[in-house]
Amino acid sequence: MHFSIFRYNPEHDDKPYMQDFRIDLESSDLMLLDVILRIKNVQDDSLTIRRSCREGICGSDAININGRNGLACVTNVRKLREPVELRPLPSFPVVRDLVVDMSRFWKQYHSIRPYLVNDEPPPEKERLQSPAERERLDGSYECIMCGCCTSQCPSSWWNPDTFVGPAGLLQAYRFISDSRDRATGERLQDLNRDPYRLFRCRTIMNCTEVCPMGLSPSRAIERIRLRMLDVEGHGGGLARHRVPTVR
Amino acid sequence: MITLTGLRAWLVQRATAVYMLAFIVLFLARFVIAPPRSYDEWHGLMSGAGMIAATVLFFAALLTHAWVGLRDVVLDYVHVVALRAVLLPLLALGLVALGTWIVRIFWTIGG
Repeated sequence: MHFSIFRYNPEHDDKPYMQDFRIDLESSDLMLLDVILRIKNVQDDSLTIRRSCREGICGSDAININGRNGLACVTNVRKLREPVELRPLPSFPVVRDLVVDMSRFWKQYHSIRPYLVNDEPPPEKERLQSPAERERLDGSYECIMCGCCTSQCPSSWWNPDTFVGPAGLLQAYRFISDSRDRATGERLQDLNRDPYRLFRCRTIMNCTEVCPMGLSPSRAIERIRLRMLDVEGHGGGLARHRVPTVR
Repeated sequence: MITLTGLRAWLVQRATAVYMLAFIVLFLARFVIAPPRSYDEWHGLMSGAGMIAATVLFFAALLTHAWVGLRDVVLDYVHVVALRAVLLPLLALGLVALGTWIVRIFWTIGG
């Protein structure tokens, strides 16, 4: 199988280049990550990729596969169009080869205060939720923070330092809709404090399109806007969609 | 001072779009159902106080919609502050000029 992989080592290379690799698939090569790791182990051990759980939960191995962001570990390698073009997540600074610097992404994530804010004295056990209250978190708590959505969002490309981005806004919604949180008003106010944090979103919906977990950040952003208008929405959680096969 | 940013701008963008859509649909429907047969008939239709108010409102909505939309384009793509400081006033000036022209036309019709 033919692969064309983005290579860049800032210590040696003046600029990035694409390197071709050819490898025969073995019966154990199911997912793209299996093959990348075999290329690394057998052909070129300098090839650099970030990965951890290799089963679609940690979000470490998010890369751009044939022009579309996805997780290498849950992408069926046999369905990919050849040559398979692998690049680092678009718009994120490259550290080396397929590894990107996600500092800016995490900075935006931290800016939405991704934790429960509740100054009331804690009860003896945990703060309880009714099943309906818990259901409202569906479709937002599952985010694995892989960065696929934010990296493929044009609004984030143009204003990465000021626009929170789809991943951060999905998490903002997760805490806005949490019945145990007491800072809903502050959170909404914070997102409306300038024309950038939330309102750069043009509902392009690339985020929803590429999310490997089938989540819909654009729907969450719509719900945040409705909450700002005191419209409660439909009450339940956000629907998840089927993840299209990366080809 | 009431600023047109964030949620307010987003809301105004949607409200003006809904008004413009309704106006265009009704305006076209009127022309399809009972098209004016002569210039006098057309002039009469456009000179009614209600029609003038609705049309002026349509253009006000159009200009506001254009301001929010084009300003968004500038905020997205133009990051040099000096260039922004030139482009935004130019944009505002252009829209105000268009607005003045429209008001003048209706003033003439109404008068």
